[in-house]
Amino acid sequence: MIEVSGLQVRLQEKTLLTDISFSLTAGHYLVVVGPNGAGKSSLLKAMMGIIDKADGEILFHDQPLSTYSQRELARLVSYVPQSSGRQLPFAVEDFLKMSRYAHHSALSEWQPDDQEAVEDALRITNTSQFRQRQMTTLSGGESQRVMIAAALAQQTPMMLLDEPTSYLDPHHQVEVHRVIARLNEQLGITVIEVSHDINHAGQKGREVLALADGQAVWQGPGEIFLEQGRLQRLYQQDFVFVTHPRSGRTIALADPL
Amino acid sequence: MTASAKLTLLSVLTLAIMLLAPFAGLSDIADAAIREHILYDIRLPRTLFAFVAGAGLALCGMVFQAMFHNPLATPFTLGVASGASFGAALTVFLGLNVSLLGFDATTLGAFIGALVAISFVYGISRLHYSFSIETLLLTGVATSFFFSSLILFTQYLSNINDSFRILRWLMGGLSISGYQSLLQLLPIVAFSAGIMIWLSRELNLLMAGDEIAISRGVAVKRVRYLLFFTTSLCVGAIVALCGPIGFVGMMVPHICRLIIGTDHRWLIPTTLIFGGGFLILCDTLARLVIAPAELPVGIITTLLGGPFFLWLLVRSRRSA
Repeated sequence: MIEVSGLQVRLQEKTLLTDISFSLTAGHYLVVVGPNGAGKSSLLKAMMGIIDKADGEILFHDQPLSTYSQRELARLVSYVPQSSGRQLPFAVEDFLKMSRYAHHSALSEWQPDDQEAVEDALRITNTSQFRQRQMTTLSGGESQRVMIAAALAQQTPMMLLDEPTSYLDPHHQVEVHRVIARLNEQLGITVIEVSHDINHAGQKGREVLALADGQAVWQGPGEIFLEQGRLQRLYQQDFVFVTHPRSGRTIALADPL
Repeated sequence: MTASAKLTLLSVLTLAIMLLAPFAGLSDIADAAIREHILYDIRLPRTLFAFVAGAGLALCGMVFQAMFHNPLATPFTLGVASGASFGAALTVFLGLNVSLLGFDATTLGAFIGALVAISFVYGISRLHYSFSIETLLLTGVATSFFFSSLILFTQYLSNINDSFRILRWLMGGLSISGYQSLLQLLPIVAFSAGIMIWLSRELNLLMAGDEIAISRGVAVKRVRYLLFFTTSLCVGAIVALCGPIGFVGMMVPHICRLIIGTDHRWLIPTTLIFGGGFLILCDTLARLVIAPAELPVGIITTLLGGPFFLWLLVRSRRSA
C-alpha cells in the first residue's frame, strides 16, 4: 500500500534523507526510530507533502504522491505534528470540524456524516468531555488526544504521527498509545509513528524502521528489534536487557556504565 | 449573544454612523443650496469611499494576521504599504500616464510596489527553514525604511509642487475622494472581499499553521500566492487613491476577533463592516478636530494605532 523508494530530501545544501526505501502493507503499524536528527520527521513531512521538494518515489496505492492533489492526499493520509496544539486559537470541536476540509468544496454544506465523523473521533479518543473547551486551556495529554482526534476526523486509511508521546508523563503516554493501538487494531488504520520509545517499537505486531543520518539502516518486525549490536550501532549507546516480570517481554534499558 | 446577533448589531451601528457622518459640521453653513451640494457631492461620496477603503484595509490586515499567525503582521508593518507608496510616488514623479485594464498608472505602480515588497519580505522569511515572527517583523521594518528612503529620494528630485503633493498624500487622507475614486476602488475591494470569503475555510486552517493546513488538504502555496496577489491589489489601490492610512488593518481585525471569534466565515463580514465604520469615524474626527481646517485621517489612525501596537506587543510578550 505504501511504497517508498530512493527518497531523497535536501533543504538548502543540507541533506536530510538519502535513498530511503521501505514498504508497508495496509493495516500495519510501523514505528520509525533513530537518534535525534536522523530524518524521522522529514520522512513524515515528505510523505504528507509538507516538504514538497523530494527526489525519489513515494507510492500510495501504487500511485505516485505527486499525482494526488493536496485535498486528495488529505483524504488518504492524516498527520499529527510534533508540536502540540495548545497554542491554537480554536475550540476543540471547531478544530475537528475544520479538519473535515478535504471532504468539502468551497460551497458545500456541513453534512450529517461530517458530524458523525467528528463524534466518532471524539468518542474513540475519549475527548468528548472537552469539546467546548478552547485548545489553549488543555493539558499536554488532552491536547495530544485532541490532535489525534482531529486527524481521525479526516477519516483516512493512513495516519502519520510525529512523536505523539514525547512530552507526556507515563500515564498519558500509555493512554495515547492505547488510543493509537485502537485505531490500528479496531479501525484498521495504517499507522506510521515516529518515536524515541524503543520498547514501544520493539513489540509483537509492530514493524520497525530505523533511520540514522538520513538513511534507512534496518527494517524488520518489532519482536526482533531489541538486540544489543543493533541498538548500539543505532544510538551509539550500550543497553542492558531485562524481562518484564508480568508480560515476559524483553525490555531494553540504556546502560549508563 | 450569538455571532449573527453581534453582526446585526454592528451592521446597524455602522449604518447609523454612515447616515450621520455626512451631516457632522454641516449646520454651520447657512446657504441651503451650498449645503446640499456639499452633502451630496462631497460628504456622501467621501463617507462611502471611507467605508470601502476602511473595509479593504481591515480585510487585508486580517488576511496577513491569519497567514502569519500574528496580530502584529499586517501590510503596513511588513512594508507592503511602503512598497505601494513608493510605486505610486514613482509614477507621480515620472509623470507616467498609462492605464491597463481600467487601472491608472498610480494604481498599477502601487500594486507592483506592493507585490515587490511582499515577495521580498516573504522570500527573506523563507531563507531559513524555520523562521520566527521577529525575523518577519524586522524584515518588514527594514523594507519600510528602504522604501521610505526611496520615497524621500524621489521627493528630493521632484519639483516643489510634486514634492508637496507626495508629502501630503503620504499622510493619508480622504479629502480628494469623489464618486470617481469611489467607483475606482469599489470593484477592487469587492473582488478582494469575494476572494477572501471564498477562501474562508483555508484562512481558518492557515491560522493553525502551514503544516496542519497542508495535512488537512489546503494547497497552501497556491492559496498564499492568491492572497498575496489579492491583498497587493487591494492595498495598492487604496494607497494609490488616499495614501498609506496606517494601523486600520491591525486594530480592526484584532478587535473583531475578540468580538466574534476566529472563524473567518463570521470574521470576514464583521471585519468588513467594522473596518468601514471605523474609518468613517476616524475621518469624521479628522474633519472636526481642527475645523474648519482638517487633518489627514492617517494622522488620526496612526495616533490610535501606535499605542495599540505597543499594547499588543507587551501583551504577546507577557503571554509568551
